Amino acid sequence: MNIVTQTPAVKQKKSLGQRLYKYYNSQAFVALLFLIIPVGLLIILKIYPIFYNLYLSFTRYELFEPPRFVGLRNYKWVFQNDVTRQSIWNTLLFTIEAVPLGTALALVVAKLLDENFYGKIMYRTLYYLPVISSIVVSAMIFRWIFNPQQGLLNYFLGFIGIPPQTWLSDPNLALLSLVMVTIWGSIGGNMIIFLAGLQDIPKEVLEAAKVDGANAFQRFIQITIPLLRPVILFVVVTFTISTFRNFGLIFLLTQGGPLNRTNTLVWEVYMSVFANLRLGRGAALSMVMLVMVFILTILSFRVIRERQG
Amino acid sequence: MAVQGSNANPVVRNFPKILTYIVLTLGAFVMVLPFIWMLLTSVKIDSEIFGDSLKWLPSQFDFQNYSNAFTQTNMGRLFANTVFVTAVSVFSQVILGSMAGYAFARLHFKGKNILFFSLLATMMVPFEVLIIPVFLFVRAFPLAGGNNLLGQGGTGLFNTYAGLIFPNLISVFSIFLFRQFYLRFPHEIEEAAIVDGCSRAGVFWRILLPNSRPVMATMALFAFLWSWNDFLWPLVVVKKDALKTLQLGLSLFNQEQGTQWAELMAASTMAVVPVIILYLVLQGFLTKGAVTSGID
Repeated sequence: MNIVTQTPAVKQKKSLGQRLYKYYNSQAFVALLFLIIPVGLLIILKIYPIFYNLYLSFTRYELFEPPRFVGLRNYKWVFQNDVTRQSIWNTLLFTIEAVPLGTALALVVAKLLDENFYGKIMYRTLYYLPVISSIVVSAMIFRWIFNPQQGLLNYFLGFIGIPPQTWLSDPNLALLSLVMVTIWGSIGGNMIIFLAGLQDIPKEVLEAAKVDGANAFQRFIQITIPLLRPVILFVVVTFTISTFRNFGLIFLLTQGGPLNRTNTLVWEVYMSVFANLRLGRGAALSMVMLVMVFILTILSFRVIRERQG
Repeated sequence: MAVQGSNANPVVRNFPKILTYIVLTLGAFVMVLPFIWMLLTSVKIDSEIFGDSLKWLPSQFDFQNYSNAFTQTNMGRLFANTVFVTAVSVFSQVILGSMAGYAFARLHFKGKNILFFSLLATMMVPFEVLIIPVFLFVRAFPLAGGNNLLGQGGTGLFNTYAGLIFPNLISVFSIFLFRQFYLRFPHEIEEAAIVDGCSRAGVFWRILLPNSRPVMATMALFAFLWSWNDFLWPLVVVKKDALKTLQLGLSLFNQEQGTQWAELMAASTMAVVPVIILYLVLQGFLTKGAVTSGID
């Protein structure tokens, strides 16, 4: 922190007390006073760990002996090992299956809730309920809903002639099951962000389009969505990051299985560190995760900007 | 919808509105059904849960599941732990966030923008990515848990309340939220107070902080949800039963009990209902706060 104190301009002799007070009351000193704890904590929790993690990713570290430098060996392991390669693929697949559909649904719900009608607040609260429920509670409920014998999902699918599925233990359905829970849990939060964005769209523009004969669907596609682009970008990026972080559901519902079909990167980080005590490998995996978050964020910025131009 | 309103039939005229209602209601049903199913299951007896055909409503309400779940998970302890950890986290995030937010919004010092935007950039870094160094730091915390000054020899804050709370003491989001709020706060009041001889720190404590109730409520709600619902960090930092949080206890209950669905749903209900109540209460406060968010 570079904090330059404003030296008091000494025009007439001042007592020591006055000079001290002036120093104490200077903007730089108050800023130092107010920032030292929050910034100190953030350095410990957010900034130093990035660099230490980078260092650890080049070492072999098994917790009970000091880290030993091994160069790129951990990264080689990440990209050559079948399980970790699959985890990178699964992370992407999870995001691709959840984010576009989940974002679109949240946008549609927000658009429908943007009108003034009776019961609006009640609907908004109902859609928000899954967000305030914890990942553990959601996982417990859905574990029961996915149950092959007494589960609610198979019960409903029975009406349209689909035979019972073993959702969480079927290699082809496990990731899809997690995607369903994720979308269910995300609509409310993204909807709130979209609602805020929709409020900022000038009503005159929509009215003008209406007068010109554009129907509701055309207005939504040709006016609302283009004007909402920055908000959509924000939702896509934060939603993507949150799917990357989705550890709880995997831990509680599939444990990375069956046949490693749900072992996303965050799951492999957890396994390498807390199950196998290979901290260097875990660090390399989390650096890969960080780079993926970074690239995806930049890509989404690009895509949105190009479409706008 | 009024422009096309030349049609006299009210059903046809109101068709878009009716369609909106139908779609929204179907969607809301999907959102809420899992919770209803949780509640219904939690009061059923086993024979109704494992019957051949699915029964929606229980023939009798069996609240035994709740007391069983409460004693088996030691829920009183889980609750107390979670309330304590959450209360400290919320308080700390609100106070530290408002202090830093004030400094970034109202004070001038060299390197302010660089510092602020580098902190903001860390918001993009998921906590899960940094869990190894944070875990190692907590475990090597100096002079705690048998550690020496260099953090060697013991387990540091591992398996302690302090370790549970530590990563939740601060959030960049809180700093950002308070900064945005203080940027819009009228300068005149602050200047008048300084002319009247109030110190800068006094301006913050006596004028800005008491007037930031709406943003405090918003932040408190977020911090509450994060801390109350946190799962990964408690999972890795706490191994002692006495320190376990509600989410951790709930997740383990499942493993031990296997297919005790009624009791599992009862435990889930007990874990989620306080959050829903608090949300509804704070939501009322938030909507009120938005109306009166000016200066008293």
